[in-house]
Amino acid sequence: MKGGYKLSEKILELNNITKIYEDNTVIKNLNLYVRKNEFITLLGPSGCGKTTTLRLIGGFETPTSGKIYFEGKDITNLPPYQRKVNTVFQKYALFPHLNVFENIAFGLRIKKVSEGEIQTRVKNMLSLVNLDGFEKREISSLSGGQQQRVAIARALVNEPDVLLLDEPLGALDLKLRKEMQTELKKMQQSLGITFIFVTHDQEEALTMSDTVVVMNEGVIQQIGRPEDIYNEPKNAFIADFIGESNIIDGIMLEDFLVEIFGVKFKCVDKGFDNNEPVDVVIRPEDITLSRENNGKIEGYIENVIFKGVHYEMTVNTKNYTFKIHSTKMEPKGTRVYLDVEPDNIHIMKKVR
Amino acid sequence: MEDKKKYAWLSYIIMGSAQIMKGEYIKGIFLLLVEILTIVFGIPYFAHGLWGIWTLGVTKFHFNEQGVAVFDHSIFLMLQGIISILLILIIIGIYVYNVRDAYKAKEEKKTTLRDKIDRNFHWIFITPGLLSLVFLILLPIVFTILIAFTDYSAPYHLPPRNLVRWVGLQNFKEIFGLKIWNKTLSGVFIWTVTWAVLATVTSFFVGLMWALIVNSSGVKIKKLWRTIFIIPYAVPGLISMLIMRLIFSGQGPINDFIEHIGLQRLGWLTDPHLAKFTLVLINMWLGAPYFMALMTSILTNIPKDLYESSDIDGATAFQKLRHITIPMVLYSTMPLLISSFAYNFNNFMLIYAVTGGGPVNPNYRYAGHTDLLISWIYKMTLNQQQYHMASVVTIMIFLIIAPIVAFSFTRSKSFREEDLI
Repeated sequence: MKGGYKLSEKILELNNITKIYEDNTVIKNLNLYVRKNEFITLLGPSGCGKTTTLRLIGGFETPTSGKIYFEGKDITNLPPYQRKVNTVFQKYALFPHLNVFENIAFGLRIKKVSEGEIQTRVKNMLSLVNLDGFEKREISSLSGGQQQRVAIARALVNEPDVLLLDEPLGALDLKLRKEMQTELKKMQQSLGITFIFVTHDQEEALTMSDTVVVMNEGVIQQIGRPEDIYNEPKNAFIADFIGESNIIDGIMLEDFLVEIFGVKFKCVDKGFDNNEPVDVVIRPEDITLSRENNGKIEGYIENVIFKGVHYEMTVNTKNYTFKIHSTKMEPKGTRVYLDVEPDNIHIMKKVR
Repeated sequence: MEDKKKYAWLSYIIMGSAQIMKGEYIKGIFLLLVEILTIVFGIPYFAHGLWGIWTLGVTKFHFNEQGVAVFDHSIFLMLQGIISILLILIIIGIYVYNVRDAYKAKEEKKTTLRDKIDRNFHWIFITPGLLSLVFLILLPIVFTILIAFTDYSAPYHLPPRNLVRWVGLQNFKEIFGLKIWNKTLSGVFIWTVTWAVLATVTSFFVGLMWALIVNSSGVKIKKLWRTIFIIPYAVPGLISMLIMRLIFSGQGPINDFIEHIGLQRLGWLTDPHLAKFTLVLINMWLGAPYFMALMTSILTNIPKDLYESSDIDGATAFQKLRHITIPMVLYSTMPLLISSFAYNFNNFMLIYAVTGGGPVNPNYRYAGHTDLLISWIYKMTLNQQQYHMASVVTIMIFLIIAPIVAFSFTRSKSFREEDLI
């Protein structure tokens, strides 16, 4: 929201949504809007209410209280088929007894679309998802990635304005998932429709989205561009959930100065009380190691793991075990001193 | 080792000789014993058996000078012939093994008895099964098939008073050519197929309906309903059938009730058309619980998101039933449906217990209106002793059912994934 990307009009608005199952509050007073042509991702650990939010938008559930607006009209109580919204289900929801063509045509047949139009629309969809010539194939003969594409085609053939995707890539292997991520993104841009994507995979959320909505325990934690979410996490939960972090107890001595384990660090945050205890978040890749005593935090390398692009080193200090990513390896047991650039130190109010 | 192989040819004449020379005494003695027994006891028995199955006996029943009854029993001769042929095939198998084994070199390694038992463990277990397969399954099948080519029947071709003759394809010609046989066959056959289809389809769909209703979200105390519906399945079938026979009988409670409300008593089991209807009804009552139990588990296994994705398409409840539930259920129960069809095709017990094949049909030979092929066979064999025609009909049932069973079996998962186990 900080960012200056082009702002199109709002297509979907959720106002003060609360959803309670029996005595279990799944969503607490949620407010969210989605812009046209936006790729928005609901991100959070399982049970955070992201899927429920999606189901509320899809019309499979109705909120206990609150309203949902689509292009300004109240759709809170409309059944799914009266919304210009379609869903790609996690397990694809394909009919095993129908072939690829009939699976995609299913919705059109229910709506009694003419046979000629069905033919052209299904064919178009198949080429959109790169499955030309797959019309007669049985679903069981397709790979996971191909089934995924059929599921997407099946949803898009109804020409929705908003496409909901509930962890659609969860069942694919890593390589295929990466491929589908770029492909989905491309598809979204070329079709010019809004995608609302649900995932628990933070990397996936950061790669694909225009906007990321981080949720936890039914409450939105932060809404923002992927860069903002990653670089400026609002609280320790987000910092911990998005990427890896070292979360350390610190004391905010004054504006722009924080003390960590007795060592003073310059930082870029202000607005805290003097000597207020705070959470300090430092990304593993933001810590620099040096063998010379620079008066910062002292520790020794406890363990080194080669991760491909970088080494992951655990550094044991007197008070905390830091996780550090670096392309330069320090051998196990080396005495090192840890330093951080001021703008890589993120100060957060302590929760509770 | 090599010079001992020179004597391998000896085992063509004396079974087991090469093995004994190789030092495989147990095997050799066993093979030798087979040969001795075959020569001493086998050959006379086989000769008589083969002669018997070829001629089916020549001596008509008569008393000789001493007043003793003398006769050839054609059917026993035929059985002896079949047993002879099967035994000869087994002995030929052993003989071929004996010759092949003779040319094999003796194993160098010292083998203990225990090793041998271990190595041939599968044979120890398979032999009794194999023998019973041959003599308890193959033998009766061959016997039944052969009967179809004889005139074995009452009153003039029934041993021991009379001899049975081979008649070639005459029975088949008669059953298709003679009007009374042909009429019975086609009538009973059409009813059998109609019955098998109706019985399967009705219990299938009623079971599905029950399962759908019981599982629908509005229904309370599902377990109670499920228990009530499953009870017919828990009672032994024959008991239920006999009770049903009473309930639907002329003086039964249903007719009492009908009369009580001022209507005419109906011939539930005595009217040709109504009897068929009653049978389907009773079978449905008996069969539906099984399908309900089955469907309940299948229905809960249909992914919920299939229904949700059709919600997006705006499908109505009926469309969901037609396009999702029924295809999905059929998809997973097809093999079962086929075997249920095969079962009902031969559902002898229900017909026998409820109507006994009745009411009588004067246009049929030995069959009533509700007789299935299988109960017709029963009547022909046990009541009328028309063994030859019964065999012909049996062969026909086999030709119809075998492909169906084979088809459903090869389509079943257990068959296709046999190698995965």
